[in-house]
Amino acid sequence: MLTTAQPLIQVNIEDFITRLESGQALLKDTPQNLVEVVGILKSYGVVLDAYSHNLIYIADHQFLRLFPFFKYCNGDRSLARLKKHWWHDRINYEYAEYCMKAMFWHGGGKLDEFLDSPAFAQLADRAIRARWRGNPLMLTLHRIFPDYLPEQVRQLCYYSALGQFWRVMSDIFINLSDAYDRGEIADIPAVVSFILAGLVADAARPVHYTVEINGQPYELLPPAQGLTFLMDTAVPYVEAVFFRGAPFPGTVSYNAQAYQIPQEQEQFAYGALYADPLPIGGSGIPPTLLMQDMRHFLPEYLHAIYRKQLRQEDDLRVQICESFQKSMFCVTTAAIQGLAPHPLSTTDPEEQGANRVYLKGWLRRLQESRLVRVAY
Amino acid sequence: MLSALIWMPVLGAIAILLLPQARAEQWARPLALGVAGFVLLLTLILSFEFDPAGVAPQFAQRLPWIEPLGLNYTLGMDGLSFPLIWLNSVLTLVAIFATRGDIERPRFYYPLILFLSTGAAGAFLAQNLLLFFLFYEIEIVPLYFLIAIWGGSRRGYAAMKFLIYTALSGILVLASFLGLVWASGAKTFDYQPLLQQNLPLDLQLILLITLLVGVFIKIPIFPFHTWLPDAHVEASTPVSVLLAGVLLKLGTYALIKFGVGLFFQAWVVLAPSLAILATISALYGAFSAIAQQDMKKVVAYSSIAHMAYILLAAAASTPLSMTAAIFQMVSHGLISALLFLLVGVVYKKTGTRDVHVLQGLLNPERGLPITGSLMIVGVMASAGLPGMVGFIAEFMVFRSTFPIFTIATLLCLVGTGLTAVYFLLMINRVFFGRLPDALATIPKVAFQDHLPSFVLTMLLILFGLQPSWVVRWSETQATNFILSPALRPPSLSLLSTSHSPLPTPDFPPPL
Repeated sequence: MLTTAQPLIQVNIEDFITRLESGQALLKDTPQNLVEVVGILKSYGVVLDAYSHNLIYIADHQFLRLFPFFKYCNGDRSLARLKKHWWHDRINYEYAEYCMKAMFWHGGGKLDEFLDSPAFAQLADRAIRARWRGNPLMLTLHRIFPDYLPEQVRQLCYYSALGQFWRVMSDIFINLSDAYDRGEIADIPAVVSFILAGLVADAARPVHYTVEINGQPYELLPPAQGLTFLMDTAVPYVEAVFFRGAPFPGTVSYNAQAYQIPQEQEQFAYGALYADPLPIGGSGIPPTLLMQDMRHFLPEYLHAIYRKQLRQEDDLRVQICESFQKSMFCVTTAAIQGLAPHPLSTTDPEEQGANRVYLKGWLRRLQESRLVRVAY
Repeated sequence: MLSALIWMPVLGAIAILLLPQARAEQWARPLALGVAGFVLLLTLILSFEFDPAGVAPQFAQRLPWIEPLGLNYTLGMDGLSFPLIWLNSVLTLVAIFATRGDIERPRFYYPLILFLSTGAAGAFLAQNLLLFFLFYEIEIVPLYFLIAIWGGSRRGYAAMKFLIYTALSGILVLASFLGLVWASGAKTFDYQPLLQQNLPLDLQLILLITLLVGVFIKIPIFPFHTWLPDAHVEASTPVSVLLAGVLLKLGTYALIKFGVGLFFQAWVVLAPSLAILATISALYGAFSAIAQQDMKKVVAYSSIAHMAYILLAAAASTPLSMTAAIFQMVSHGLISALLFLLVGVVYKKTGTRDVHVLQGLLNPERGLPITGSLMIVGVMASAGLPGMVGFIAEFMVFRSTFPIFTIATLLCLVGTGLTAVYFLLMINRVFFGRLPDALATIPKVAFQDHLPSFVLTMLLILFGLQPSWVVRWSETQATNFILSPALRPPSLSLLSTSHSPLPTPDFPPPL
């Protein structure tokens, strides 16, 4: 059956512009919101750390393995590790791959441009030939289907790039939690400022990827390309995962043949900021996988709050998702502030006008998001 | 022993009534549960001693009471009453368990439930027509109060309608009994001697039609059914469980025991008409259920449809069809009790039973996923999915009636198909889709709220996989009803060798 989305509540754009111009965040500043955001970002930081390690491990050590049965084991193939995996007492690394594929599919930034360039094609071809040296079958297949293996290499580049991006984000969130524990974070604007400072500090951090094959290094994302953390991974990530997302494995069913899916990818609005926290009983719901992972690493003060709610532990994942969305609106606020053409607190009327045009663009895109439901 | 089944609940009720006001809230429920549990234990003990191969009433008790009137305290249990006694004992315990712990006026409520159990047990065990009538009428009183006091917003109207209809039912049943005894010149209302009556067919027809109208109100069969949906909608959940699970069976019990048993010649004449009426009732119930918005009304109209299958099976009057009728009574009792319990949970948690308001309750995090899952199992059983008790019951009914009333059976099969339609419509609307925000703050369901439903679900599956555990108790009695020479003059038999729906090599020879 077709499952319709929840009814839309329109965002009052002016309210939020005023809020952002006055130094506030999209999320309302309340003690409850602060505890939820910091607590959930701590568990998210732990999970991102694991995702990041695994993505980089796959990029570095599972390069062009056609049957990567042990890609989630991070090199540990002991029976104890396998039992843990089969028993599902593990991190759902599949979520990280969903996010990687969303980035890969939606593209954006210089990384996407470079992966479609002849320069990359040459680098990829060298690596492919090195990987299958002495394997005439694979080399023949590569000749017959010349697009297949390069596409796999492009994907592995995204594995690495997302892993590097999350490495930074994980550290920012864990540091935020530590700062909160030390009493240095007292409100939501402080959370946003902390995240923004982290993003700015690492904005120019280079993103590169070199794979080792038979003891020889093969560059795939060379440092010379000047790919950087903020513009080439963070911004495409926010666009792909926060805004656009992937409609098909989401929490709401869509019928593409009934034109319920927009024709253009730019119009997609199935990302984390739009996700319905209530699972409807379908399978393979990526946000649910993330919630399942985060529940293992909740700080006790946040877990205690969840236990006091009406359904206690029964709807823990929904509560986590709601808190997670609040925290992602803080990250989005940091991104909005960081990418604004002028400081949002400017008093120059011309700069204010430019900022307003810029802010309206963001808020129009958030019209159908969960903003209104979580921001008050 | 049989008297204990009847009088233990009365003693329990009196004990609860005598509780001091201050202790009533604390002790009424445990006491009622204890009494119902003890009655269930007694039923279990009786099961070990009950001989399924016997055809005469077992554990018989006879005490003269008002002999000039022909009224004696005559009790006995046979293969027809045995499964219904079990049903009564189990569902009384379930109903008490399913009652809210904080129910108002517990000192009055629990005794009424126990009196209800007494009335049903007495009617199922009575071997005297007047005694049956007394118990048949007695259960109206507690049920009236249970609906009128603890019912919904239109409880007064529903209770009064129930009272008028069922009182009329009782009057007609009594008129039929009186006519039988007076016309046959019998000096007693005892059941066994009256089996030998040999009234003219015309008179039998008049008496049987009078009886049938009475029991059709009780079952209920279209067009005498209008009290039932109102009563169910207004009754609280435990009362609906007893009403659907046990009290409607008084009607079908009387239909077989007295309609078939006492007026077999006339029954044979009326059987084709009864099959047509059963078909109309089954289809009417099914189509009406499709149109309902209230979950309870869906289940109530479903009851009307499924109870009609019992009439169809009884009309066919073969050993297999009589066994099927009894099995269908058990099946319907368990299924409808389960469905009413679950609708009760939905209502308790959401405050509504409107299928156009409810949505997405199967949501695993904030909905009622276990309630929804059990409801789906119950619906599958009702729709006759293999492996469930409903499949066996309906298969037996239709297999036995098909050679005799082919068209009626085929139309009733359509009714069974419609069961899937109306229940799946309800399930789809109420349990699937996104949980609306307005329903996303439902409190969780405690384990004890689901416990009775778990037990009934297990029984549905158990008897679906192993139906002989129910059928074996009634098989001989059902065969005897039809094959006993005293009951069935050869010239009037519906059952000839060519009509025999199934070979029955395991049945004992006719007595």
